[in-house]
Amino acid sequence: MNPSPLPPAIRPPARRLWLWGILAVPLLLLVVLAVGVASCFRLSSDARALRNGLIKSSGVEWRQQIALNAGNLTLGIVRAGLSCARLDPEARAVLQAVRGAEVGVYWLPSGAKSPDRAAMFAAADTTMTARGWDRVVGVMDGRNLVTVYMPGKNVSTHRMKCCVMVFNGSEMVLVSAQANLEPLLEYALNQPALRAKAHLLTQR
Amino acid sequence: MKQMIHYSLAVAVIAAGINLNALADSPPGQVDFGKIAPARGGEFVEIQVKSNLLSLAAQSVEKQQPDVAKLLRSVQLVHVNVIGLTDENRAEMEKRVRQIRHDLDAQGWEQNVTVQQKDGQDIGVYTKTRNGEALAGLVITVFDPKKEAVLINIVGDIRPEQIAALGEKLDIKPLKEVGAALKDAAPKK
Repeated sequence: MNPSPLPPAIRPPARRLWLWGILAVPLLLLVVLAVGVASCFRLSSDARALRNGLIKSSGVEWRQQIALNAGNLTLGIVRAGLSCARLDPEARAVLQAVRGAEVGVYWLPSGAKSPDRAAMFAAADTTMTARGWDRVVGVMDGRNLVTVYMPGKNVSTHRMKCCVMVFNGSEMVLVSAQANLEPLLEYALNQPALRAKAHLLTQR
Repeated sequence: MKQMIHYSLAVAVIAAGINLNALADSPPGQVDFGKIAPARGGEFVEIQVKSNLLSLAAQSVEKQQPDVAKLLRSVQLVHVNVIGLTDENRAEMEKRVRQIRHDLDAQGWEQNVTVQQKDGQDIGVYTKTRNGEALAGLVITVFDPKKEAVLINIVGDIRPEQIAALGEKLDIKPLKEVGAALKDAAPKK
């Protein structure tokens, strides 16, 4: 008896693959958009590490008011959108300069005990030093605590990064920014008032 | 086994080389004031501007203010500590400042200026030269028992009379104040 022949292989029609492709693209775009939007409400890893170090060392519980992150892409879209708008030269210089910015605001609920600022100061230093940042300014005065960090390496006018923490006894603000300072410097040094002050300085 | 020993030796030699390099990197005019913790309830300010930022500042003003750019390029580090004095830390800070001055003397720093002001403020200015010619660094210690202790270390070729200008350019208030105090205390020509 002859064995029955194998049924012919069925290949899915090409248009089904095209259909899946057409459906997948908007889905992927949605996912990318969702991730992009979500990232606007999430601080970068360095800022997050600083925040976590400060909160943990303070010994008290904090509430988050806001956390916003605008990266190069978001600001690029804003720059493109405002390119035709009438802006002050100062505002335009700032917009051209800033390449990324993020801010986090945290507050102490009423009745919370005063946090240990010296411990916060030390913890901030430890965290940021481990991540390659140098503290440029540190001020502890009354209820206020201010620290300013900049990267230890790869600092230039084209690529400037800065991370600032300000605590006033009840509210803590973390701001981190990346900028290309060239447009700002060009604007600043062309101002008559600043030029006069600079001339005065060179006379000393 | 032999390979392990050779490998360990190689690692040790490289590590030693890196350490030596690190030591060599510390310029002669730099002074370590030690770890100064802020006192509870007292003011504390620390400013540390390193050569990367100073170069950046010099670069940004090169065209418009070449003299200022030259001053900034001659400096490699500006380190300022302002420690508010309270009953808790006054004695310790006085001892610390005295120890720093003693260490500077022992390390061959030259005491150029000593100013005792009427309000009890005590200012000391120390300089270190490199090969007997250019300045390698500058240290200023200020002790005001009623208010604060100020420690300043500037690494680079800078004269005491240029401190006010440097403070002005970098907008560092303690530097401006000390510079002004030194100017007032300098003998009038």
